[in-house]
Amino acid sequence: MRLVLAYTGALVPAPFDLPFVQRAVVEIALLAVGSGILGTWIVLRGLSFYAHAVGTAAFPGLVLADGLGFSPLLGALATAGIVAIGVAAIANRGRAEYDSATALVLVGALAAGVILASDVFHSQGSVERLLFGSLLLIDGTDQVVAAAVGVAVLATGAVLGRRWLASGFDRDSARALGARSPLPDLLLLALVAASAVAALDAIGALLSTALLVVPAATTRLLVDRLRTWQLATVALVIAEGIAGLWLSVQTNAPPGATIAVVGGVVFALVALGRAGRTRLVAARGAVA
Amino acid sequence: MSDAPLLAVDGLCAGYGGPPVLRDVSFGATAGQRIAVLGPNGGGKTTLFRTLLGELRPATGTLTRPARIGVVPQTERSRLDFPVSALDVALMGTLSTLPWWRRPGRADRKRARAALADVGLADRADRTFGDLSGGQRQRVLVARALVQDAPVLLLDEPYVGLDTPSVALLDELLARLAAQGRALLIATHDVDQARGWERVLCLNRRQVAFGAPADVLTRETLEATYGAEIVELPGERCVLPPHHHEHGHDHDHGAA
Repeated sequence: MRLVLAYTGALVPAPFDLPFVQRAVVEIALLAVGSGILGTWIVLRGLSFYAHAVGTAAFPGLVLADGLGFSPLLGALATAGIVAIGVAAIANRGRAEYDSATALVLVGALAAGVILASDVFHSQGSVERLLFGSLLLIDGTDQVVAAAVGVAVLATGAVLGRRWLASGFDRDSARALGARSPLPDLLLLALVAASAVAALDAIGALLSTALLVVPAATTRLLVDRLRTWQLATVALVIAEGIAGLWLSVQTNAPPGATIAVVGGVVFALVALGRAGRTRLVAARGAVA
Repeated sequence: MSDAPLLAVDGLCAGYGGPPVLRDVSFGATAGQRIAVLGPNGGGKTTLFRTLLGELRPATGTLTRPARIGVVPQTERSRLDFPVSALDVALMGTLSTLPWWRRPGRADRKRARAALADVGLADRADRTFGDLSGGQRQRVLVARALVQDAPVLLLDEPYVGLDTPSVALLDELLARLAAQGRALLIATHDVDQARGWERVLCLNRRQVAFGAPADVLTRETLEATYGAEIVELPGERCVLPPHHHEHGHDHDHGAA
């Protein structure tokens, strides 16, 4: 055992030789599969706001589970599920209704969670952990959940991906082409909810979009084919996750928030770089 | 080419739950026919297409249709920022030809490439759909309907926004599709163009006329179809007042 540790210690730079950091890295890699692939669908289908709301909606469920002593996974899935069903029910009425309802849910869930935590269960201490995650306290259950969601996303995407693509491309035509069932879209909403819940322990209710939306939005700036986009996003989630983890250990900052900051900075740099290149090309075109 | 109708509509009334917005429609389409569907915005063209596609149930009347009807929407209704190639869009046509759990295989890709070649876009198959010109996008959507292998095609104002060379290409393509034994229903505002096709269907909340262009495209029918606002030009050319060409995303039930 000591030999193995010494061996990895020689090969793996600090802090990645520490077991709890290694567990965090494995968790990020597992989460990356589901959230990277799903992230592309979230961006493509305009579900970013929903992804954020459904992650936040899990927060009161977590507080309830914490206070009443049942499985936090169950609590999160229950409240996120209720929101997913509610949003799906009004999603057909139109974009404006959909957005307002999502905003309403977001605020309601956050408020309910805070009131439950401060006045019902007096569990303020854990609120920060629930909202922003604790990637360095990951256990085996979290990894199993992340892996299960990853497998579900891969399998469902392989079968239903072309329906998600066709109905996002042009809903009316997709219906005429035979994509009439609402089931594929409902499954997409359910998977987003499951992904947000899977990321809760690692990155928290408020920051789950750092894994689900930001990396996919970043790679979209550079890639214009779906398959490449999905691969690039999974890779970027892993890279940003590990970079954020390293930075958080170095600076003693919370890992979830650090990963979110890294994601935001990378997005800003890529967007700026792209805008600069476009301008350069335009200027060259004007000169020539 | 057989004369058995691919599409038969008899005494059809259709609407959106309230009073019918389109009444008394009876016509047939046989293989090889290009049918111009004329009428003002709000005249029932969209309602007719949606009923033919099975999205609306006829309130009364009967409808005999093939299992698959292809639809070619206006290109600006599709998301131009989507990360899809022309080939990806053509492959969407396999949604109705494959069972839901099957992914398109090599044979389907071959068929999609053949369809793109058919519409003159063999060399554009791997281009991003949104980067193509309006006319090229329109032809990609036609290719998608060909992959769907539908004997009847509904085209929603396919000529809107096309430049002259694109119009000529599309004209030639539609003639070829009809010659291959398909029936095409083409929603349009261009009466002159309709003169060159096999049949004309005039709608203004009801069927005003149906028949060969020479019989249907008379001053009386056009006035009944569009109201008495037709601008007459020398040489018997009928051109519609400009506001008919304005193209919002018309939902003709809204006007009914």
